[in-house]
Amino acid sequence: MDLAFGLTMAAAGIAITLITLYLLTLIISLMNKLFPFKEEPAKKNK
Amino acid sequence: MDVFLDALNSLVQGFTNFTWQQAVMIVLGTGLLYLGIARKIEPLLLVPIGFGVILGNLPLAGMSAHDEGGVINILYKSGILTELFPVLLFIGLGAMIDFSPLLANPSVLIFGAAGQVGIFITLLLALGLGFSRQEAVSISIIGACDGPTAIYVTSKFARDLLPAVSIAAYSYMSLVPIIQPPIMRALTTKKERSIVMAYGEKKVSQRVKILFPVVAGILTILIAPMGAPLMGMLMLGNLLKESGVLGRLVDVSQGAIANITTLFLGLSIGASMLGSNFLQWNPQQWWHSPIMVFALGLVAISLDTVAGILLGKLMRVITRGKINPLIGAAGTSAFPMSARVVQKEGQKANPRSFLLWHAIGANTGGQIGSVMAAAVMLAIMAGMGIGPLS
Repeated sequence: MDLAFGLTMAAAGIAITLITLYLLTLIISLMNKLFPFKEEPAKKNK
Repeated sequence: MDVFLDALNSLVQGFTNFTWQQAVMIVLGTGLLYLGIARKIEPLLLVPIGFGVILGNLPLAGMSAHDEGGVINILYKSGILTELFPVLLFIGLGAMIDFSPLLANPSVLIFGAAGQVGIFITLLLALGLGFSRQEAVSISIIGACDGPTAIYVTSKFARDLLPAVSIAAYSYMSLVPIIQPPIMRALTTKKERSIVMAYGEKKVSQRVKILFPVVAGILTILIAPMGAPLMGMLMLGNLLKESGVLGRLVDVSQGAIANITTLFLGLSIGASMLGSNFLQWNPQQWWHSPIMVFALGLVAISLDTVAGILLGKLMRVITRGKINPLIGAAGTSAFPMSARVVQKEGQKANPRSFLLWHAIGANTGGQIGSVMAAAVMLAIMAGMGIGPLS
């Protein structure tokens, strides 16, 4: 069995996927703070 | 008279060249047609694959993916061997996905990572069974629960396994409502499944929706450039949708591009399943069979569910009971089936529980997680000097 390859792939794969998604979580939270949702003002009828 | 006999001979050549392997494959192709049409299991894919199997195994027809110069051979070479078809599918997929639940509650993205753990454990199992590195990676990616990603990776590393891997990936996606519930019930108590999560559709600004595909695309591709074709097209499709100014392109991406690509992809894969290759049996390497590929794929998806629920249980403890562990099961890429299963199981335990919004967020996180996991695998393979097939 190619144990070294398998363990490297498993450890690095899980870790990098987790770290990347965590970074994305932080970025999304930051974007939500920078650009919060605002209700569009109702359009006035002419 | 000789001319008549020659003509008659040419007319019966199809029958005289017919082998038992081809007959078995035609029965198999008919079975796939039955599953797609009568049972409605992934008909978009199983019907073209089934018919492709039949066409590809008719003797002297020149319709197999390996018949040089044939119509399907041209599709196979230009769409599968170049990895064009799965990449095109990702434009359609991106244009169909609404990331709003994820953007409103980004912490659920972490379940998208747990939902990929099965991929990596199955990789170890496949290596233990004697599959080569390339084959093990291709089989384990079934755990991504994501057909186009599985096809993309397998067409790079183990084309012989492409039919089995693609059928397994798409079949298990549709079988998620059967595979996941028993695991959910086995790993959680009724009290845990009954947890009501705070419900309220938080709204996200259009700027964030537009920025997300751009920022996520840049970040993920910088980390794992080998996954750029998948992640890039997924995020392009989503940007088209969220931009709000490209309705025509969104319609084409969701409709024509996705449909035409699915048709040609299925047909090409089906026509590559030749009896002479697919029905090989080697007693010394009995595990090296399509059945084992299917079995390992099932293990991968089950382990994804286990890992997601275990993370959900951990999050329940950390948040002091605010997270329902079932949400973790939606961290797979089977969208939106996993989210629906979570909602159904949650409601069975507690009719006042509405988990769908949170589960959809985790499920879209699983979409990103599966592509990321594949990209990381490709990057590590490249780093180890294991390149794709030429």
